[in-house]
Amino acid sequence: MSAEEPDFDVIVVGAGPAGAVTAYLLARQGHSVVLIERGEAPGAKNLSGGVLYGRVLDEVFPGFADTAPVERRITRHVTTFLTADSSVSIDYAGKPLAEPVNAVTVLRAKFDPWLAERAEEAGVFLMPGVRVDELLTEPGPDGVRQVVGVKAGDDELRARVVVAADGVNSYLARSIGLRPKPPEHHLAVGVKAVVHLPRQVIEDRFAVSGDEGAAHAIVGDCTLGIGGGGFLYTNAESLSLGVVLRLDDLIKKGRTAIEVFEHYTSHPVLAPYLRDGEILEYGSHLVAEGGLEMVGEVVSGGFVVVGEAAGLTINSGLTVRGMDLAIGSAVAAAKGVGEALAAGDTTATGLAAYRRHLDESFVMADLRTYGRAPAFLERDRMYGAYGELAAGIFHDVFSLDGTPRKHLAAVARGALKRSRVSVRDLISDGWAGVRAL
Amino acid sequence: MKIVVAYKWAPNPQDADVRPDGTVDLSRAKAAVSEYDPVAFELARRLADATAGEVIGLSVGAASIDTPLARKAALSRGLDRLVLVADDALADADGTRLAAVLAAAVRAIGDVDVVLAGDSSIDVAAGQVPLTLAGELGWLGLASVSRVEAADGGLVVERDLPGGTTVLAVAGPVVLAATADAVVPKVAGMKDILAAAKKPTEVLALDGLDVPAPGATLTTLSTAKPGGGDRQATVIDGADPAAAAAQLVGALRQAGAL
Repeated sequence: MSAEEPDFDVIVVGAGPAGAVTAYLLARQGHSVVLIERGEAPGAKNLSGGVLYGRVLDEVFPGFADTAPVERRITRHVTTFLTADSSVSIDYAGKPLAEPVNAVTVLRAKFDPWLAERAEEAGVFLMPGVRVDELLTEPGPDGVRQVVGVKAGDDELRARVVVAADGVNSYLARSIGLRPKPPEHHLAVGVKAVVHLPRQVIEDRFAVSGDEGAAHAIVGDCTLGIGGGGFLYTNAESLSLGVVLRLDDLIKKGRTAIEVFEHYTSHPVLAPYLRDGEILEYGSHLVAEGGLEMVGEVVSGGFVVVGEAAGLTINSGLTVRGMDLAIGSAVAAAKGVGEALAAGDTTATGLAAYRRHLDESFVMADLRTYGRAPAFLERDRMYGAYGELAAGIFHDVFSLDGTPRKHLAAVARGALKRSRVSVRDLISDGWAGVRAL
Repeated sequence: MKIVVAYKWAPNPQDADVRPDGTVDLSRAKAAVSEYDPVAFELARRLADATAGEVIGLSVGAASIDTPLARKAALSRGLDRLVLVADDALADADGTRLAAVLAAAVRAIGDVDVVLAGDSSIDVAAGQVPLTLAGELGWLGLASVSRVEAADGGLVVERDLPGGTTVLAVAGPVVLAATADAVVPKVAGMKDILAAAKKPTEVLALDGLDVPAPGATLTTLSTAKPGGGDRQATVIDGADPAAAAAQLVGALRQAGAL
């Protein structure tokens, strides 16, 4: 290490959930920590928000759902298969999901500042409005190049460890060759909007009350058959909605993301939820979708990667998760970095403790569980033919047109025969689905 | 030279929503140093460096102007120290009241030679506070200042007025309101922000200041969006470009524009 004394023990780049929680926990251990954020304030660069599976955050901040700016506690999960003119839904509503808190909706513009304030209270130096341009590297004690700080404009800051929490496509991790550019089939583009509606209207339309909320996951015609899906979440006085589209499939099918988003919001099944809503926010964002395959190297000399920057996202089709995994990785990173600092070894060998804690945590366990999900969800039939099949079955059940009734199994066989799905596809996809999810 | 920069901690207009009726909703906007004030910080720092002087930041307003983020945002812009009057009694204060409180704080700081400010705030934009402050202090007040330099114990001030540019020599205490393009302010770097955390902030109690009671009350009766002028709002269908062009020329002739 250079003779120059570091300015801080740890520099964390990016004040999202992963960065703020890593900074908070390391400051609680007594380390000097600076949290650098590109936006003028934490949350300023964030689009809408989403569903946060809150168990892990509850371990960091017990009872957070009562004090943090959460929007609603999700007690109703709806999964819908859409065709152009019909929908089939699985609707699970359960009070047990509210207590202890399972999932909450958050708007990041409010939630991230709250997390950053907790970090500041713990002694973290919050530095907003600064864009880190590059990492500083020098040969370490083991002769291998090691990260020793960051550079922004003309200023340099030095630290024993730099934590990259700079989001999907982590520029910092790529700049030192730690992580390759993700392949297109592992990336998705999300187009999102936040739509204002009065509290009462939201509760009536989504059949929830008080601070309870609903999360809808939608597949099929909502994405014009492109790999991905739609979502619709209730906030206190707004809805977060959007589509997540696999980049390679979007390009292959020659559509634009905006086109798909507009088709989605005007779909007859979706439109009634949004009626008379006023758009507050609108934009798009790159999302990592690769699951286990995208988690590569997360540790280098003097350097660790957390959250979405480390490729930690899961899309199982039923749930889309990022924030809870980000926080899980932050907990593992704070443990590992803390041990490396205590041992005075912040080389890749010392920081490998982070990878061990990450591997032992629920984060990697869940990523392994859903390891096959991305490949399963790449099967095209998921986004078109199955919606048609399901709609066909239920149409035949409910449409009393005077023809003699048949047993459900016969109805299903009939619908299957008319659909584009072969029995062989059904068995193959069904088996893959059971294994993946 | 002892220089005060009077700045406003105001909602950032980038986050504002314009409602369908044209009124502006700033309730979702995060606060920041008002967009036209960094010019005043930069002019003050250069003046202080040239005269081995001191730059003191000063802001008055609701309690929310005093947060760690707000302190650092001001102190990282070249200040030596910061003075705040943060009291919710000032939450909806009008420009005259804010100027009266600023004047009382300037008197409390004492021996101030120059007060610099941006020439209007980003949220109200009435451009009234700096000159009202000069009046409250009984000082000279100059608006539209495009340049300021130290000279012979006093100042040389350039003003950019519609009639032309004037260069003035000023002796004695003065309040200067700077134009938005007087100078390009330096963006705060990491070292500036780190140094900011070590600089002192003094919070003055509103009750402890000598502020005259307001002589008049002010109530907003209505607001409306700025007039759209006498636009005719003619819309031409561009499906057939040649026909649209002919229609446009016709409409312009009819309006007497061609």
